[in-house]
Amino acid sequence: MRLLLVEDDRMIGETLLDVLRSEHFAVDWVQDGLMADTALRSEHYELVLLDLGLPKRSGLEVLRALRARKDTTPVLIVTARDALAERVAGLDAGADDYVLKPYELDELLARIRALVRRSSGRADPVLEWKNLRLNPATHEASRDGESVSLSAREWAVLEALMARPGVVLSRAQLEEKLYSWKDDVSSNAVEVYIHGLRKKLGNDVIQTQRGLGYVMPKP
Amino acid sequence: MAEPDESATRPGYSLRKRLLASVLTAIALAALLQAGSAYQSALQQADEMFDYHLQQMANSLRGGLALGMPPTGSDEDNADYAIQIWGPDGVQLFRSPRAALPARAVLGFSDVLLNGAWFRVYSVQTPYQTVQIAQDMGARQARARALALRAALPMAIIAPLLMLLLWWAIRRAFDPLERTRQQVAARQAEDLSPLPERGLPDEVRPLVQELNLLFARVHTAFDAQRSFVANAAHELRSPLTALKLQTQALERAQTEGERSHAFARLEQGVDRSIRLMNQLLVLARQEGTSQQGNAPQRVDLLPLLQQALADALPQATERAVHLALQPSIPAWVEGDPDALNILLRNLIDNAIKYTPANGHVEVQVTAQPAATGRQALLTVEDSGPGISEAEHAQVFERFYRSQDASATAGGSGLGLAIVQAIAQRHKAQITLGTSPRLGGLRVQVTLPALD
Repeated sequence: MRLLLVEDDRMIGETLLDVLRSEHFAVDWVQDGLMADTALRSEHYELVLLDLGLPKRSGLEVLRALRARKDTTPVLIVTARDALAERVAGLDAGADDYVLKPYELDELLARIRALVRRSSGRADPVLEWKNLRLNPATHEASRDGESVSLSAREWAVLEALMARPGVVLSRAQLEEKLYSWKDDVSSNAVEVYIHGLRKKLGNDVIQTQRGLGYVMPKP
Repeated sequence: MAEPDESATRPGYSLRKRLLASVLTAIALAALLQAGSAYQSALQQADEMFDYHLQQMANSLRGGLALGMPPTGSDEDNADYAIQIWGPDGVQLFRSPRAALPARAVLGFSDVLLNGAWFRVYSVQTPYQTVQIAQDMGARQARARALALRAALPMAIIAPLLMLLLWWAIRRAFDPLERTRQQVAARQAEDLSPLPERGLPDEVRPLVQELNLLFARVHTAFDAQRSFVANAAHELRSPLTALKLQTQALERAQTEGERSHAFARLEQGVDRSIRLMNQLLVLARQEGTSQQGNAPQRVDLLPLLQQALADALPQATERAVHLALQPSIPAWVEGDPDALNILLRNLIDNAIKYTPANGHVEVQVTAQPAATGRQALLTVEDSGPGISEAEHAQVFERFYRSQDASATAGGSGLGLAIVQAIAQRHKAQITLGTSPRLGGLRVQVTLPALD
């Protein structure tokens, strides 16, 4: 799950980056509006955490430009600007949700999950596929009711595939979801995680489409 | 709150009432004076006229008055008169019916008291007879008064009319003032829009114009204050959000390593909040009235600068920035040493913060001649990225952070605003430019120097 964090305050950014990473998100962090614009044009994110008061280009401008490109990436505005007019302006400019600083971390994470769920068209917060259950809120994975321990990356691969059964995801697409800019990506990393998942969940869970990528067939 | 001004609580006076009172009093006095003098002169004239009348009557009688013939005129006319005529031998020839006059008379005019009533008497003597005519003073005065009153009457009628007219005119003249008063009175506290200046008399317009200028100034100050509070609240939110996040991250930390990492961050967050608070306090003090600061005194900038440099040295060393004092001379100025110290520290700290490792920060204090006496010249220059011309005006705004440096420096955005506030209190000028030697920012502060 790849996230773009747009936050100009260094302390908030650093701490949030740590927390989001520990929540199994692949996070890119930019500190001004211009960088945010560039990142949004070049990469695909599942969600954007957007501050409004940014140097060089305001968050609102970044958001308007994003929507003008018909980009539907969910945007969660996280800002200290609490005036009603600003909240309305933010939502009207195309934001999906609005969180005021200072916020509760748990609430912020819950809103992130809700937005991701909604944008993928699901109502149920828990992902299910045959006998597998994946709870993004608690990071619990279970098979036939028995808990399975997954690494953060394995979890991310499984979540991406389970979210859209029957859809083939290429290795590049999976890598994009797994890694932020900072990470070194080894050439066979995805294969390693697929291998690990098959070992823990069974060989029939993830199918390889030769030359195309990986898929979990519709149950 | 200061004690309310006594004159404000005293029942005030009204210009209109004052004007009315003085004008109406003047009219009343003038009318009284005029009526009085008209009355007096009418009385006098009537007196002279009656005397003349008496004389005429006496003269007409002394000629050839037939014995026993009543004097001229009708009964009514003569009701007030009494006539006696004597022959040359002192025999009374004629005596009008109601005459009760003394037998002897002084020739010419005289006033005689007879039976409790005064009479005006005129006597004239010819070789043949003596004629004496008397007039009842009571009746005579009553007639004179009637005449005099008639002379004073027009003033008595005109004066009240004039007063009424003036009262109305003065009321009208004060209408614009009253209108303006009502407009001001009806205002909400936050309504600082200008009052209409049209249709106001010359006496009131300048006042309203000054009021409008004051409104504009208050409006600007009010806006600045409001945006400052809003900005301050916003700026406080970021460090507090960071603190909250840091505590929650600390709570989530699983391993000992994560915990100590999170704890170190939390400490940084607290430090930053304290720093911001202090900066806000300093700014509030420096921007407040001069009463809050120390009384101005003679200060030498050189030792102040040396002390500021010594204080900033650890920070410079930590960031591997070379800090140096250029050849300087003592420069005496009038000011608050604490405030000047803050100014120096802020400028030096700023320079250190924006200068990359192994860069240079140099400071100097000299003096130079100026249009008005001598100036102390304080220079702080660095080898940092500098500030673009376009940003020169903005950097003194509170909470403004350089667009390029915002991520790296992480300051409160108040440093230069504080410097500006202190400079203004000391009548000092701040000039931003590029350091010719170091290539970075050069800040020059000129202060009026003492001898």
